[in-house]
Amino acid sequence: MQIIYTDTLVVGAGLAGLRVAIASKERGLDTLVLSLIPAKRSHSAAAQGGMQASLGNTVKGMGDDEDVHFQDTVKGSDWGCDQTVARMFAHCAPKAVRELANWGVPWTRVTKGDREVIVNAEKVTIHEAAAAHGLINARDFGGTKKWRTCYTADGTGHSLLYAVDNKAISLGIPVHERMEALKIIHDGKRCHGVIARCLITGELRAYIAKSTTIATGGYGRIYEVSTNAIICEGIGQALALETGVATLGNMEAVQFHPTAIVPVGILTTEGCRGDGGLLRDKDGYRFMPDYEPEKKELASRDVVSRRMTEHMRKGKGVESPYGPHLWLDITLLGRKHIETNLREVKEICENFLGIDPAKDWIPVRPTQHYSMGGIRTTPTGESPQLSGLFSVGEAACWDMHGFNRLGGNSLAETVVGGMIIGKYVADFGEQHDLVVDTALINRFGKDLSDEIDQLVDGNGSENAFELKLTMQRIMMDYVGIFRNGVELQQAIDELSALLKRASNIGLKCKKRHANPELVEALRIRRMLKVALTVACGANARTESRGAHSREDFPQRNDKDWLNRTLSSWPDANALIPTLSYEPLDVMAMELPPGYRGYGVNNAIAHPDTEKREQQIADILAQLDADADRYVKQAAIMPFELPDALLPNNERLSDTLSSLVKTANVAGDK
Amino acid sequence: MSQARTIRFSIFRFDPQDPHDKPKMVNYEVTEAPGMTVFIALNMLREQQDPSLQFDFVCRAGICGSCAMVINGKPTLACRTLTANYPKGDIVLMPLPGFELIGDLSVNTGKFMRELSERLQLWLQPNSLDSDIHRMEQPMDPEEAAKLYELERCVECGVCVSACATKQMRETFVGAVGMMKIARFELDSRDTRTADDFYHVIGNQDGVFGCMTLLGCQDACPKDLPHMTQIAYLRRKMAMTNPNRIL
Amino acid sequence: MANNPLPAKVDLGASAAKGFSHPIWAARADRLQSASGVLLGLFIIMHLHFESSILLGKEAFYYVVQFLEGGIFSETGHGYPILTQVFSAFMLVVVMIHAVFALRRFPTQIGQWRALRQQLHFLPHEDTKIWFWQMVTGFLLFFLAPVHLFTMIMNPEIGPHLSAERVYHDNAWILYVFLLPAVVVHAIFGLYRVCVKWGLVQQRFALLKFAKVLVVYLMIIGIASLVTYIVIGRTLELPIIPFVPTL
Repeated sequence: MQIIYTDTLVVGAGLAGLRVAIASKERGLDTLVLSLIPAKRSHSAAAQGGMQASLGNTVKGMGDDEDVHFQDTVKGSDWGCDQTVARMFAHCAPKAVRELANWGVPWTRVTKGDREVIVNAEKVTIHEAAAAHGLINARDFGGTKKWRTCYTADGTGHSLLYAVDNKAISLGIPVHERMEALKIIHDGKRCHGVIARCLITGELRAYIAKSTTIATGGYGRIYEVSTNAIICEGIGQALALETGVATLGNMEAVQFHPTAIVPVGILTTEGCRGDGGLLRDKDGYRFMPDYEPEKKELASRDVVSRRMTEHMRKGKGVESPYGPHLWLDITLLGRKHIETNLREVKEICENFLGIDPAKDWIPVRPTQHYSMGGIRTTPTGESPQLSGLFSVGEAACWDMHGFNRLGGNSLAETVVGGMIIGKYVADFGEQHDLVVDTALINRFGKDLSDEIDQLVDGNGSENAFELKLTMQRIMMDYVGIFRNGVELQQAIDELSALLKRASNIGLKCKKRHANPELVEALRIRRMLKVALTVACGANARTESRGAHSREDFPQRNDKDWLNRTLSSWPDANALIPTLSYEPLDVMAMELPPGYRGYGVNNAIAHPDTEKREQQIADILAQLDADADRYVKQAAIMPFELPDALLPNNERLSDTLSSLVKTANVAGDK
Repeated sequence: MSQARTIRFSIFRFDPQDPHDKPKMVNYEVTEAPGMTVFIALNMLREQQDPSLQFDFVCRAGICGSCAMVINGKPTLACRTLTANYPKGDIVLMPLPGFELIGDLSVNTGKFMRELSERLQLWLQPNSLDSDIHRMEQPMDPEEAAKLYELERCVECGVCVSACATKQMRETFVGAVGMMKIARFELDSRDTRTADDFYHVIGNQDGVFGCMTLLGCQDACPKDLPHMTQIAYLRRKMAMTNPNRIL
Repeated sequence: MANNPLPAKVDLGASAAKGFSHPIWAARADRLQSASGVLLGLFIIMHLHFESSILLGKEAFYYVVQFLEGGIFSETGHGYPILTQVFSAFMLVVVMIHAVFALRRFPTQIGQWRALRQQLHFLPHEDTKIWFWQMVTGFLLFFLAPVHLFTMIMNPEIGPHLSAERVYHDNAWILYVFLLPAVVVHAIFGLYRVCVKWGLVQQRFALLKFAKVLVVYLMIIGIASLVTYIVIGRTLELPIIPFVPTL
């Protein structure tokens, strides 16, 4: 087995992984990226809508800042997130957007003067300031107070991924394509790298590094219908889980996007609704205002998805051979808007549905979309259990999303998280030595080659493809948008039974090199474990929070469940994960749990909430009267960042107000 | 509803790593379902008939560019090709020519694109002085941003490369994808490279003057990129840049 | 540590390219090929129209020839056939220039030829096919056009009877049967390609359609004229008496 040594090893060449790799390389560390596919094909490219950053250039974003972005993010998470991390994130998001502009992203810019937009199904004319002309524009997205989602037409993820990968190429960062990491090498305390298998030659290779960063994206493909790319199978999470030491956080927090097309589950961007699209039922009736009079179609994703499901359960769905669906109507936006700003949507409609979205309504229904859960990390991105193991992006539970992620915050997390954690990864690389324990490497290498031998040469009888489909259907049927104890228990039992059967997989194709069946077999065992953490976490959490919605426990219960689920798999032969919980400290929160603004406020309060609110009021009262928002924030909940990322963000409103000041001073004379 | 028809696939099969294998076409049959794409059909084939069948899909939504192959003589993205488009029900699948074959329908476009990017330096080369990420960004003409995005929509699927007879005949030719990317950076006001710099990269037989304007690139591009206009623009620009002009 | 493939900061222009591959010659060759092609193409369109004036009668053709040979300046009023000789020699030079620069497009190795054939077979594409026929006709013209031009240099007499003599009695029709389709196809599609190559026209498909119509039209008048000369030739007896219009 070939052993390759490097300083920083990154598994996954999407936006988050590449951004970490760039941060390391810029500090002079030897950096290497592993990827299942060419970097530019990563699922990051599929993010159409945009990334949130409080630049506040457009008139509809005026008054936006880190505070508002932070509050939207925390509320969106249903108070399940790590508020320190949400702060770090909101502070660095504008920096990431500006950095990306320097790397080549052609952000859509503000055009001065009048512009017609659609707000709440009506045409409205807004006036953009001359001073904002040419600055980075933003659009409206669900769950946000301001227009904050920066975008490049409808290919934001594509533009970002291309710019970041181009940057990585310019720095000479090697990406070993078609390499699949299948084992983390560790000694129970420190992570040393991974064993990976080449998908072309079948060769096994050990990659030994000071730090290993898992950036493999989400686990959407444990569901049969998902908006995710077919490579988002949760193998990164499974690798961490299989160490038996590292933990996964909030795996039950799975987001369903309201508008994926039926039947194939391809996403139509939230930008459709952000730009003014409506949801209609089988009678053509716009039903969202009945449920959410204030935010309507632009309520948080989990809310819209649930309302849609509710409405369909009332028999208002459109019947189709693939089950009921609803309509997304963007015809009112006009052909020109659709063909420029929503072209990707138009292409998808034409190619997969054979319809013209400027004339026809689009059949949509809520579909698995995002994994809030992932490898649990500290705010520096490192696993609390395994030193040297980092994780970033959707793969991680860095935890800025809690139980529901806002649209535009995932693309933002990849580059912002990558920017911040990249610096900590580089710090780690500078501060630590490479540990080479060949006996350990060989042990893990042998484990994997034994597993492959057993699959190829053994006489198992189970079919990997069948097992996978069965698992995916269980997840669809029992661990979906609305959950209950009976069905979740059934899911756990059936998944455990599948996991047992998975030890008896046999292959029809016996090739050791490029063999899709072998790839599938190696993955399904790992995916089942990930699926079990989702089902078990969901079953244990007897409350409803964000995207996790229990029919038998409809209330958000801060008293008992203001915590983070941690899953681990200490016994390799066990059929279910071990769960534990990490409490969220209300007394350390900047924004204590409150009403999220949707439906009835039925949350069971945490005993510390009132105490903390009082404490915050006291802290603020003690400050000078002219203390600015930065001082106030630091007094309530201080947070740390690498020095290079600490400076405040300049905004158009700053330059405008300073202009006004100068004008006033001039006027006084 | 009418009865589901049978789709007859004829698929190129070859495992270059198996010394005993020879390239061949193999026939398969699949029962068509409503809305079936080549992506769905190929996965059914792999799951139910031949688990060794190799092909590449990632986003399966026409966004990532992984799944380009030659379908009945046309290079295109398989994931968004509906089987209903073929009234006779006969579909011939071949791997994209011009790339290293991994096996069956899978080719190594990633390696090709990375090498091209390194060779032509396909990344933004901005003036490093104005890059303070804490301060206001440099304004950009909104029109320019929109035009840049138009050119940036390339997904590196490799279709233009395989649709180009010039590229098939001359290995070293940069192909449409390379020239389109150069055009993208040439347009970008943030990029500090001059026409002279670009001339050194594509002002030659392997670049814009090697292109014979067969336009296979433009006709096959799944993203409908304006190859003809852009390559013509580059050609004019490069022809004027040449310091020793005759004509 | 890991083997880092550094981004190649290679200067392609500096590669040891010779001949037309040299960056200076690349642009020049492309421009000269296009310019000489346009000259020849436009000339051919005019040429075919001039000589098909025979369709309007012997007088018409006589006056056209007289005019082109500068008849108004000559004492006899018949013009100077030497003009034809000089002009033919000049066109021969242009043809040679065009051929030399166009030759770099030809597949010179068997591998390239095979790649082209495969491409045409597996990925049929109209513009590529058109180019293929342009290449074939170009190859033919490389031999046929000089024969025609040499004839005109050696034997420049043109007139309703003199030309008919050449066509029918000297058996030049055999040459023209090949020359006419080859030159029409090559010239018209060549002009089409020049237009799209340098971005002179945006409506490519309309232009292509126009080019096809033009080819058909030129073929019709060309064939009709040829037939007319043969018919005239058959009525003439040797030795030929030059035609003089009766006043």
